Amino acid sequence: MRVLIVDDEKLARDRLRELLSDIGGYTVVGEAMNGTEAVEKSAALNPDVLLMDIRMPGMDGLEAAMHLMGMENPPAVIFTTAYDQHALDAFDVNAVDYLLKPIRKDRLAKALSKAHKLTAKQIAEISQARPEPAARTHISVHLRGNIRLVPVPDILYFLADSKYVVVRTPTEEHLIEDSLVNLEKEFSDRFLRIHRNALVSTGSIKGIEKNPAGTWQVALKGYDKKLDVSRRHTAQVRRWARNRPMSG
Amino acid sequence: MELAAKTRLLFDRLRGGVRDAEQRLWPTTGAPPGEKADFLPNFCTGEVVFNVVVVAEMLAIVINLVIPRNFLSPTVLQDLLLISIFIQWVALAGTAVLCYTRKYLNRLPNLRALGAAYLLLLLTTFVVSECVVWLLWALGRLSTARPAWYADFHILNLTISAIINGLLLRLFLAKHELQSRTLSEARAKLQALQSRIRPHFVFNSMNIIASLTRSAPEKAEAAIEDMADLFRMMLSQDEMLVPVKNEIDVAKKYLALEGLRLDNRLTVNWDTGTFPRKAVMPVLTLQPLLENAIRHGIEELPAGGTIDTRLWEENDQIHIQVTNPLPKTRSKQMKSNPGQSLDNIRQRFQSHYGEQASLSSREENGLFTVTVILPIRGDNL
Repeated sequence: MRVLIVDDEKLARDRLRELLSDIGGYTVVGEAMNGTEAVEKSAALNPDVLLMDIRMPGMDGLEAAMHLMGMENPPAVIFTTAYDQHALDAFDVNAVDYLLKPIRKDRLAKALSKAHKLTAKQIAEISQARPEPAARTHISVHLRGNIRLVPVPDILYFLADSKYVVVRTPTEEHLIEDSLVNLEKEFSDRFLRIHRNALVSTGSIKGIEKNPAGTWQVALKGYDKKLDVSRRHTAQVRRWARNRPMSG
Repeated sequence: MELAAKTRLLFDRLRGGVRDAEQRLWPTTGAPPGEKADFLPNFCTGEVVFNVVVVAEMLAIVINLVIPRNFLSPTVLQDLLLISIFIQWVALAGTAVLCYTRKYLNRLPNLRALGAAYLLLLLTTFVVSECVVWLLWALGRLSTARPAWYADFHILNLTISAIINGLLLRLFLAKHELQSRTLSEARAKLQALQSRIRPHFVFNSMNIIASLTRSAPEKAEAAIEDMADLFRMMLSQDEMLVPVKNEIDVAKKYLALEGLRLDNRLTVNWDTGTFPRKAVMPVLTLQPLLENAIRHGIEELPAGGTIDTRLWEENDQIHIQVTNPLPKTRSKQMKSNPGQSLDNIRQRFQSHYGEQASLSSREENGLFTVTVILPIRGDNL
């Protein structure tokens, strides 16, 4: 069985490696230091199972697991944690595999022998159990079975287009299956609704302009096309513009 | 190996202890610490109902003793029976009303909730009294629904109700307040302990030590020694003052442990000036500041960073300044937290020095700086 070890602490990774070699029968195909690396290496190395810490800088283990769900053949995930009461309670309820640090060899062997894939429902329920549901740090985009992670700060806007949502960065455009309503709720502190079908990153807004037709448009940093502000959202967008911090 | 197994066992137990304590403290509601307790107690419990019945019966006996004989009925016992039925009826109806309205009343400000509860009880008394008159009339015992004693009856009942209910509400509230205060004190103690010994740090460190026992036994040995010293400080009950030098030593032991965990992600620069030889500060002044810097700064940065620690003496005061880099994108949760952990530290300084100590923090260019100013004590010890 092919194992990917994910932990931000080197000695914690070493320990898992040693325990795995004690148990025997497992090949460590790689190590990752945070959630982003875990997703990228999973896509590249195709492990059968991930031993993943929950608390990591940047993208944490729960978010990484969420992105992994989008893979064609996602690996099984066993979470490791030192102490995370809310997560553990949610794991117990949803029968998700986890190991407590310091990790014991027998428990590790047992968890690996019955490791199973997470379901979308489990992940959703675990995320809800968090004291304050955290917004994703990345959006995962699926390209022919592969996963690409787009950092949320890079995103200029989300544009709803019939069944899909277009994710636009200064250099590329991707399609994701999500709803604008969910995205708006999740990223409310970072994105502004300017149209029934558009959410714009407030950090990327260069200015708001009135065009000759008398409607308003949003100009974006590092992007030539302007986006229309709908009549219904004009007041809200202008209010935001008045209150925006001067630093932008 | 033996050692690693034993320490693991010890900490599995400790972890169980922390979980148990949490579950004991907020078992059913799952209320997080700090949540406001309900102002009005639960009136639906058997205990409250029993107390109400007993008090009501005592009141019935007292009234029975003071009314003239042959006033209601020929015998004393029959008087008592009639009065008891009436008072129990009023008392239980009042309890039931409060039981069902409690969740609405508790949404009001405390004084208004109390006033509303009191008025509800008086209203209940009035309604039950009215029911009695009506019932007697319906049963044909009275010729009219407005007998000559109608007004007196209501005034008497309302007056007694006003006094007794006032006393009872006061009693139940005092008892309830005592209970919730005991509970919140227990929570505060647990929180204080947890803010000193952060479980996340403890269990991660144990995991690291377990790892080191194989690859580098000497490092593991040193780590256990550091941890023992640190725990001795953290578990010390009394808030003693210790020499600045000791505080720096303890902080360095803590940093050595975190250094093992965070590997090359943690760098600490020390700049400590000279201090009067006997200058003291409260035990565990430096370590929580550094822990805060690691928890909300270094730990959140994939590449780690540098903590700058400066200590100097100025105007008979000890100045401590800890600076750490902050992650660029922080979740909402992270934004609010540094302040909260600092509040704990600030409270400890205040209990030692009152207004003479100060703790301030600022965020600038992605750097978070905490500055602590303590009066120099110890020269006159």
